[in-house]
Amino acid sequence: MKKALALVMAGAMALSMVACGGGSTSTATSGSTAASTGTSTASSGAATEITLWTYPIGSWQKEETVNGFIAEFNKQYPDIKVNVEYLDYTNGDDKVTTAIEAKNTPDIIFEGPERLVSNWGAKGLMVDLSDLWTEEATADISKTSEAVVNACKGADGKYYEYPLCMTAHNMAINYELFKETGALQYIDEETRTWTTDNFVKALETLRDSGKVMTPAIVYCGGQGGDQGTRALVNNLYSGTYTNADHTAYTANSAENVKALELLQKLNNEKALTFDPALQASDELQMFANGTAAMTFCWNASNEATYAEQVTFTPYAMNFPTDDGKVELCGGIWGFGIFDNGDDAKIEAAKTFIKFICDDATQGPASVQATGFFPVRSSFGNVYAGTEDETRMATFQTFLPNMGDYYNVTGGWTEQRTAWWNMLQEVGNGSDVQAAADKFVETSNAAIG
Amino acid sequence: MTTSATKQPVKGPSKRSGLGISRAEARRETIAAYLFLLPFLIVFVGFVLIPMVMCLWTSFFDSTMAREDIFVGFGNYIKMFQDDIFWKALMNTALIVVVAVPTVTAFSLWVASAIYKMKAASCSFFRCIFYLPVVTGTVAVTVVWKWMFNNYYGIINYVAKGVGVIDNNVNWLGNPKTAIWCIILILFTTSIGQPIVLYVSALGNVDASLTEAAQVDGATKLQTFWKIMWPQITPTTLYILVITTINSFQCFALIQLLTSGGPNHATDTIMYYIYYQAFKLYQYGYGNAMGVILAIIIALLSALQFKVAGKGND
Repeated sequence: MKKALALVMAGAMALSMVACGGGSTSTATSGSTAASTGTSTASSGAATEITLWTYPIGSWQKEETVNGFIAEFNKQYPDIKVNVEYLDYTNGDDKVTTAIEAKNTPDIIFEGPERLVSNWGAKGLMVDLSDLWTEEATADISKTSEAVVNACKGADGKYYEYPLCMTAHNMAINYELFKETGALQYIDEETRTWTTDNFVKALETLRDSGKVMTPAIVYCGGQGGDQGTRALVNNLYSGTYTNADHTAYTANSAENVKALELLQKLNNEKALTFDPALQASDELQMFANGTAAMTFCWNASNEATYAEQVTFTPYAMNFPTDDGKVELCGGIWGFGIFDNGDDAKIEAAKTFIKFICDDATQGPASVQATGFFPVRSSFGNVYAGTEDETRMATFQTFLPNMGDYYNVTGGWTEQRTAWWNMLQEVGNGSDVQAAADKFVETSNAAIG
Repeated sequence: MTTSATKQPVKGPSKRSGLGISRAEARRETIAAYLFLLPFLIVFVGFVLIPMVMCLWTSFFDSTMAREDIFVGFGNYIKMFQDDIFWKALMNTALIVVVAVPTVTAFSLWVASAIYKMKAASCSFFRCIFYLPVVTGTVAVTVVWKWMFNNYYGIINYVAKGVGVIDNNVNWLGNPKTAIWCIILILFTTSIGQPIVLYVSALGNVDASLTEAAQVDGATKLQTFWKIMWPQITPTTLYILVITTINSFQCFALIQLLTSGGPNHATDTIMYYIYYQAFKLYQYGYGNAMGVILAIIIALLSALQFKVAGKGND
């Protein structure tokens, strides 16, 4: 009897392990939420189930927002069930990498061209979305920015992303502190611009005032928000990050080295701080709590995020330049489809993307949720009549300053790590030219 | 179901095992034992053995995402030994192990020695206090430490300046000279919980009659400890040494969450560098080659510890 019991127990344990194993294989949808009209989907015998993974882009990280969109989608397409999983920028890439190797990728992913086009698209993992780029859509998006159209297209001419929204990343200052210390005289409030010389003077004024812990932080503890430090360096003396055809990194040019040397000097003079212990999110927090007088990682979405925390006016600014020609880093977000070999799912995914991005009612709502601006010119001002209208109008003025979208350059992933490592070296007092040369050598080698 | 041994007469020693049960019984018990082990065996094979073999196999290939693997023989290993960052990471890892293992072991023994004779409630209180960082999530622990080490308003700078140890704020995690020591300190606080609990248990199990006899014979406290108690807790010490060594070698989450290996690779460890190569650069073959080397180093050190500590336990 004992042995029989032992065998039964052993069998039960083995089965339970198998059951656990079965559960673990479906981790891609664990913790996800399935939003559908339920009855209509369930009643249809031919429901297609697709999965969307979204990075935290504005309110697209909020379950209630995304579920609302899917509910609207299901009113028109009840036979397509959409499961959603929310990624973060800390571990999201690792999760996608693991999913790719496990051949367990989602059907749809929501992010930007540097991942969808330059990385996964270039590796042949994404579906060609050229059929979504109708003449009408291409003309409408081109009217907003030709750079958006080009960014969504791979080197092989195929479109791996269908864009929804865009923005131009900028910086911000603590307006009241600038006013109180007399640093406000160094900015042009009308155009929200300043020269490199005035930027230096403002930093020195803030430092000498003793009213702030540090005037500015060049965060270099990781890759998050690195568009801010790139734009800062490139704009100071009109340098470029890559060459015009995006085939080589140029951060070791004379202009960029001069900019890095200036920042190193300012660091030595305590007019700003190179901080390898902080990433962009930390720097934003330092700005929000008044520890730093400015942030290099600002945009409309960040302003909304920190609105309740700040006790001052975060005044959005262009990056300082020597020639008055600002080149802001652009942000483009849209959808891509992983090629899982299931035509039905691919078609369902395309249907979903078209609805979310192009539907006359849903499209503007989808954009609003991102906190950015539509790539479709026909949408007009999606914030008109909303409480965000005035605030977003300010950020819209930065869009014309969007520079070259170089994020599609090969070796993008590798260069991001090399960039903050280089900044750490510069902040640590290393030879700037040598550090920049090493960055370019590493990054160009990764282009392949 | 009656066992056959009770029905069948004893036919001689050849039919019975040394434990006095028949071969059939022994076989059935063996099968039952293996069946009990089966669930763990499946997990062990699936998640340890097979990945180990795959790791070794992949280390001989130039393996990356969305491309067929290319056989490179020992190419990854040659590349590794020419990689300055690998050596930097190896040195950092060695420093962590060399500092953390003895200090964790010695401190745990000291704390356990001080609390194991206390009343049950007091002993449990201290065990709980020291075990808290172990059961607290790594992310929560690192967030708190990151705040404490903050360059601008961290409590460590605040206290250090207050007592006159430093004049200006120190960027503890942003300075290549201090960052690795911060990591070691945090690792230390999260590593001592389990050894203390184990030592308290081991010291409580030391035969009191032997220590009393030694004291009656005039042995000093130190002599009593080294001659009587230490040999009896050596197996526990060996276990603590091995697990602390392995944990120190595998220090990863703290690095990823606090410094990302910086500044200037000052806190890169082998584990973090493996992660970086595999997950950031998709260099799976190279990452696996480093994993093989790390496994060999840990195995050799563990064997050495068994050899050295095991001698006194013979």
